[in-house]
Amino acid sequence: MRPAAIALPVLALVAVLPAVLSGYHVSFMIQVFMWIALAGSWNIISGFTGYVSFGHVAFFGIGTYTAALLITKAGWHWLPAGLAGCVPAMMLALVIGYPCLRLKGPYFAISMLGLNEVVRALVSYFEGFTGGGAGISLPPIEAIVPVYYAMAGVAFAVTLTTYLILNSRFGLRLLSIREDEIAAEAMGMNTARLKLYAFLLSAAFPGIVGGFYAWYASHVEPLSVFPLITTITMIIMCLFGGSGTVLGPVIGAVLLSVLQELVWARFLFVHQALFGALIVAVVLIMPRGILGILRQYYPLPRSI
Amino acid sequence: MQVHITGTMVLQVVVSGLLVGGLYALVALGLSLVFGVMRVINVAHGTFLMLGAYVTFWLFDLYGLNPFLSILVSVPVLFAVGAVLQRLLVFRVVNAPELSSLLLTFGISIVLANMAMLAWTADYRSVEFLTGSFVIGQIAVSKPRLISFVTALVITALAFVFLHKTRTGKAIRATSQHREVAQVCGINVGRIDLVTFGLGAGLAAAGGSLVSVMFAVYPEMGQVYVFKSFLVIVLGGAGNYPGAFFGGLLLGVVEGLASLFLTAQLTEVVAYILLVLVLLLRPQGLLGGRI
Amino acid sequence: MADAAAILEVRDAVKRFGGVTAVNGCSLSLAAGRIHGLIGPNGSGKTTLFNCITGLERLDAGEIRFKGRRIDGLRPHRVARRGIGRTFQIIRVFPQLTALENLLAVTEAPIEQARARAKELLEFVKLTRLKDEYAGNLSYGQQKLLEFIRVLMTDPELILLDEPAAGVNRTLLNDLLAAMARLRDEGKTILIVEHDMKVVMGLCETIYVLDYGEKIAEGPPSAIQGNERVIEAYFGR
Repeated sequence: MRPAAIALPVLALVAVLPAVLSGYHVSFMIQVFMWIALAGSWNIISGFTGYVSFGHVAFFGIGTYTAALLITKAGWHWLPAGLAGCVPAMMLALVIGYPCLRLKGPYFAISMLGLNEVVRALVSYFEGFTGGGAGISLPPIEAIVPVYYAMAGVAFAVTLTTYLILNSRFGLRLLSIREDEIAAEAMGMNTARLKLYAFLLSAAFPGIVGGFYAWYASHVEPLSVFPLITTITMIIMCLFGGSGTVLGPVIGAVLLSVLQELVWARFLFVHQALFGALIVAVVLIMPRGILGILRQYYPLPRSI
Repeated sequence: MQVHITGTMVLQVVVSGLLVGGLYALVALGLSLVFGVMRVINVAHGTFLMLGAYVTFWLFDLYGLNPFLSILVSVPVLFAVGAVLQRLLVFRVVNAPELSSLLLTFGISIVLANMAMLAWTADYRSVEFLTGSFVIGQIAVSKPRLISFVTALVITALAFVFLHKTRTGKAIRATSQHREVAQVCGINVGRIDLVTFGLGAGLAAAGGSLVSVMFAVYPEMGQVYVFKSFLVIVLGGAGNYPGAFFGGLLLGVVEGLASLFLTAQLTEVVAYILLVLVLLLRPQGLLGGRI
Repeated sequence: MADAAAILEVRDAVKRFGGVTAVNGCSLSLAAGRIHGLIGPNGSGKTTLFNCITGLERLDAGEIRFKGRRIDGLRPHRVARRGIGRTFQIIRVFPQLTALENLLAVTEAPIEQARARAKELLEFVKLTRLKDEYAGNLSYGQQKLLEFIRVLMTDPELILLDEPAAGVNRTLLNDLLAAMARLRDEGKTILIVEHDMKVVMGLCETIYVLDYGEKIAEGPPSAIQGNERVIEAYFGR
């Protein structure tokens, strides 16, 4: 099976890197894995079905709080606490997705626009529980290499899930929704349910990423874990690499992380503005992302 | 902590909410027009509002210009901005899949908001032009809110006159109802798109100028208005312009009541739940209309 | 042959859009196992009626029954699962899926079975060599054929075809008509909306004529051809 031939060496490389990289670079790789997982998750709902989720960072944020609370108030170990982040994230996705996915695309997108703010407001409101604006502080982290492996694991899981979906009929159906939802429904597909499944999956992984992030950052507060820039970054990384594909989010995450790190992370507002401009550019000039451009010159299999 | 809520307090927030609601209706009208004509959800609508607010703020701060008069400046300025953006960028996605126009306008909104941030910092500004209230019986009616409401009404009425009595306005309505047919009838839909987008931006700017008198002005202020405008459109029924007016009033009242019975922090949550409920139970809007 | 039972009944259906009444008290009764035609001047409500039958639009009044059970008010995918398939006036294949994927996506049958059926249908319309081509890259006629066989993937009992002859060359059209006749012989019921009178008169056993959303005539081709009301509807007084 060809994909395994590529995947295994990559995994092996990923596994041994911490031994040779400095702490700074390990941190950088953790970020890259985080973005691969986040962009890949956004891809599952928005890349496949065409339903743009503007509030996706809400799932990340909920995951951070879940893990933070489990670690500080229930004494959980960070690994299961992080994994548990997917549960409230999926519950939120269910509660919001059930009504909102019945809407046609643009209406769904706008309803997601408000989601992030609402979740943030709720988290701030229940101060007694969540520490309000000040947030929750966790015990300082000693070794980051375990987090490296955990994030790498999530990134791999998202990519693998995307691959499996894309090569299944579930994936074909999701793509049909993107292509022509009315025709898809007329052909007997229960598009509302299909969208919901995709949405739940797409929310679970950011919940876990958030869960691990809480431990890594040792502090969570509303402002830092529900920022719009995270949604923007997820979206642009996926679009830039090529949405609706397996490797698109990976390529986008890696390239833009590197660019970000080298060039403009210092200037936050320029950073955001540049990403905004990049979104405009990608939509107008390369709507299928880098992978789309490559496809024009080389016959690439659909499965990547 | 239980505060005894009196009938007067309820009446107070209802009145207050109605006044703000007129503003919401004005802002929603702009978004609704653009969507109706071009099938584009302009996520940057809120940033147009924000820019309008800043125009008013700077004219007030530097030249002492009456913010209500500055609408005469902010509207044309943002009309021009909107028209330019439409001509350069938005026109390319007018008949593209909605994903494209959503992402495009989202990208534009981010660029504009951050440029504002760079230019003017994230500091909160306000236009201290009118303060105080008229007291009518037991109700205190905030002066800025009342004047803003009246102004919003006037502008909305003017917009309606434009849409119903002028050739361009009628062409806009025709295009929003049936684009192909409008083209066949000789309407230059490209020009109509341009005018509509500019008009939408102008209406947002007018809203922004009015907002600046009542609330804080800062680069990210616009985002919540896109959402509120959308909620207003959903409440009133998409394509139903008078319905949107009542939707705006309703939203204002609901927010007021929420801040009274719950807490100001949660008004957005309540608005969101309202949106979800309406979408779930009565997607055609409380007053009907097509989705 | 004894009178076949009605497989689809539309009773007093009404559908309004704002001020326009697109379907105005229309009633039809389709006998099973026949090919029926739905004709009428532009704007007479034919496609709207299709949309109401298939659940894309909700009726404002009236009923639609399929095999005796009401289907008005059901969502499109449920109507489809009851056994009604349709094609569209403007072709709606999934452009970025291959022809084969277009077919596989619409069925829930186990993958091997689905593949076998897909291959069968592709051969039926001679599209086998294009099975891995993106549907968006196919020619108009090829897409039309693809849409046609896609409907057949789920083996519906009632097939609604919206202008199957539009934009199609003679040879292809004859293939399509032959295919439809074969389907009818296998027991399927077909209802077509069509403007091409030769096709309608030649293929359909019963024809329904709509004008301003109402049924103004019904009967075999011979009864429709000389019908004054029908002529009036098309050409005015």
